[in-house]
Amino acid sequence: MTSDADTAHAHAHHWEWSWAPLWTVAGTFLLVPIAFSFYFVYDDLLLTAIAAGVGTVLTLAGIAKWVDEGLSETPLLAGVANIGLPIFILSEIFIFLSLFSSYWMMRLGIDAWPPEGTPHIVLWIPLVMTVVLVSSSVTAHIAEEKLEHGNLSGFNTWWIWTIVLGSVFLGFTVYEYAHLIGEGFIPSTNAYSTAFYTITGFHASHVLVGLGAFVAVLIPALGGRTNKTFVSCVSVYWHFVDIVWFFVVSQIYFW
Amino acid sequence: MSTPTTTAGHAAAPAWKEWVLTTDHKRIGVLYLVGSMAAFGVAGLMALIIRYEQMELGMQFIESGTEYNGYLYFHGAAMILAFLIPGLTGFAANYFLPLMIGARDVAFPRINAFSVWLFFFAIILALLSFIVPDAPDIMWTGYPPYAVTTAANTSLYVFTVHLLGFSSILGAVNFLVTVIYMRAPGMGWNQLNVFVWTTVAAFVIQLVFIPVLAAAVTLLLFDKYLGTHFYDPSAGGDVLLYQNLFWFYSHPAVYVIFLPAVGILFDIMATMAKNRVFNYKVAIYAGIWGIVGIAGIVWVHHLYIAGMPDWIRLGHMVTTLLISVPVGLLTISLWGTLYKGAITYNTAMMYAASCLYLILLGGLTGIPLAIPSMTLHLSETSYVHAHFHFIMALFSAFALFAGIYYWFPKMTGRFADGGMATFSFWANFVGVNLTFWPLFIIGKEGMPRRYWDYEMFKDVQVMGYSFEDYHLIATIGAFIIAIGMITQTINFIYSAFKGKPAPTNPWNSRSLEWTHTASPPGPGNFGGTDVVVDENWSPYEYNTK
Repeated sequence: MTSDADTAHAHAHHWEWSWAPLWTVAGTFLLVPIAFSFYFVYDDLLLTAIAAGVGTVLTLAGIAKWVDEGLSETPLLAGVANIGLPIFILSEIFIFLSLFSSYWMMRLGIDAWPPEGTPHIVLWIPLVMTVVLVSSSVTAHIAEEKLEHGNLSGFNTWWIWTIVLGSVFLGFTVYEYAHLIGEGFIPSTNAYSTAFYTITGFHASHVLVGLGAFVAVLIPALGGRTNKTFVSCVSVYWHFVDIVWFFVVSQIYFW
Repeated sequence: MSTPTTTAGHAAAPAWKEWVLTTDHKRIGVLYLVGSMAAFGVAGLMALIIRYEQMELGMQFIESGTEYNGYLYFHGAAMILAFLIPGLTGFAANYFLPLMIGARDVAFPRINAFSVWLFFFAIILALLSFIVPDAPDIMWTGYPPYAVTTAANTSLYVFTVHLLGFSSILGAVNFLVTVIYMRAPGMGWNQLNVFVWTTVAAFVIQLVFIPVLAAAVTLLLFDKYLGTHFYDPSAGGDVLLYQNLFWFYSHPAVYVIFLPAVGILFDIMATMAKNRVFNYKVAIYAGIWGIVGIAGIVWVHHLYIAGMPDWIRLGHMVTTLLISVPVGLLTISLWGTLYKGAITYNTAMMYAASCLYLILLGGLTGIPLAIPSMTLHLSETSYVHAHFHFIMALFSAFALFAGIYYWFPKMTGRFADGGMATFSFWANFVGVNLTFWPLFIIGKEGMPRRYWDYEMFKDVQVMGYSFEDYHLIATIGAFIIAIGMITQTINFIYSAFKGKPAPTNPWNSRSLEWTHTASPPGPGNFGGTDVVVDENWSPYEYNTK
């Protein structure tokens, strides 16, 4: 491959490379498949902890590096992530649709609903969670507006409020799960618990990813570095998670 | 990586970093090629073990049926998920799609590197099944209830699917944005290479359908390890739910493989015949997009014998038969592209030409399987196994090999053609026919798929020969393929370093990857000036006066 050298000299570019993708994938690999297998299949707590610990560190390092590079390097075509993210969300819509269809199939095939073993589900919790999550979408939007007008400190304030509201939402999930598990309502209890924990849990995992993305935006923003495309992508993702919640609430709690 | 690579005189990084940690689409493409060929090698070894075991009645190689299931699992999962899909949509799309549309890279180079790493870690996860004591034994389909009740490690299977699925979804996002926004100025939709169109179509399918597979296997994971009841009829679940979700993706997955393979053939045939693509617009809009349109409403033909209501089976029979129309349109365009062409027969073209035969057989043998009354007889026999191998293993893999020979001079600056290439082509071609023809014949007489033995058929004669004789021929065929593939791999490696040097456009193609780049292209692909095309430009502009 001798001509590599010639072409490389012919123009000013050089081969681009980055550690960030490898670290992120290696971390995720240890954190999810490997830790899961150690815990659920091989019943080894020590190895689970090691895999999850190293995995978390690697994933966070990878994302930090990635964000740093993303904020300091010029992309080939700026702003195009604003198109990429909605395309990705289309994929997300289909995974939620699959989960909901599975739930509908089970539910419509069962005579008595809720099936035996279901405790009383408290309905004020999801209502309060809805208010919290919708408010967080509003604060995220206000933050974006502030950034649009060049007000970085205003952006940071509203962005932090969004993170607080998102965390409160997750706090409610933890509270609700703890309460229900205390009453003996666990994923294996019956068809309703199966759907309940899968769908609310899957949504909660999206909230968690969203919160991670908010923090990834916030840390450099506190130091004065940010990027409108990055912010608007995280924001659009968050609105999507918000909209999915309406389906979760209406299908899981109020049907 | 011992290949010496120099940077543009600044920011010199070690060569291994510029390869292993690369975010350049061409090098990521090469990483995909290396990874998918490695997966092909291991999965091919599994196929040899399977064939060797079936050569005679009784147990020869394996020590238990479970061990045989393990080989079947790895063979199927690795061939489809780690060889064909990454080979076509990973390697070929990565290396050549940006070059064909005149882009300097993909829209998100780091996400591209992220995708290739997900692919490599998925292979690592799949290879772990050779180390753990409880290797997955659930085929590549992972049907419950067995996948839930088995003592084997189903989670390895589920997470392999997750990693590869996520890799493909991100690839889809990346390439769709790239094609929509990064085409060379002046390049209209009707001026794209057919390969670009087929890749876009394959990624649209991946984007929409993979999440459904991801959901199916996630619920499997929850059922097995968290005790949920999605696939448990005793608590209101349904095992057929899994089969529906699974095939809702996995049938369209055939087109994820088939479409880019067809795209490669179009580019090779137009170039080697020095001819326009026949019926370009029909092939694109009715052929490719017709397949995408119907892809999602044919999956029930995998469930004909699973207890589906008649009206669903009838509906899916109609749609399944209907999909032969767009496939037929593409085939007509392929033949028409050769019509009155001045065809050059090199190794790429020989592979491409053999694909016309393979698609004919693979397609025609699929028609009986579209019809429920025939499927009641043929389902779960080696007839099905031979049919889908003709489409997936032979047609699509041969198209990929055609592509490798065709683009070899672009990737390495050297030809891979020669005696070894010709020998390996004929060994592969003769081998695949010897292997799969007998399986059609005994399959029609009831030889079951997936069985390690066929003791119950030992007295059955087909045309005067026993099942064992047919299995012997198939096994001989498999070993001939092995000789061909080993020769071919040696040839690729040898030619990459010592092959005959090639000019930048050895086939006199009109496509941008040949006309506007060095071999191999450097960073940024096109040197100092951006590619611009005019409205009369076409990658198949051969017979204009």
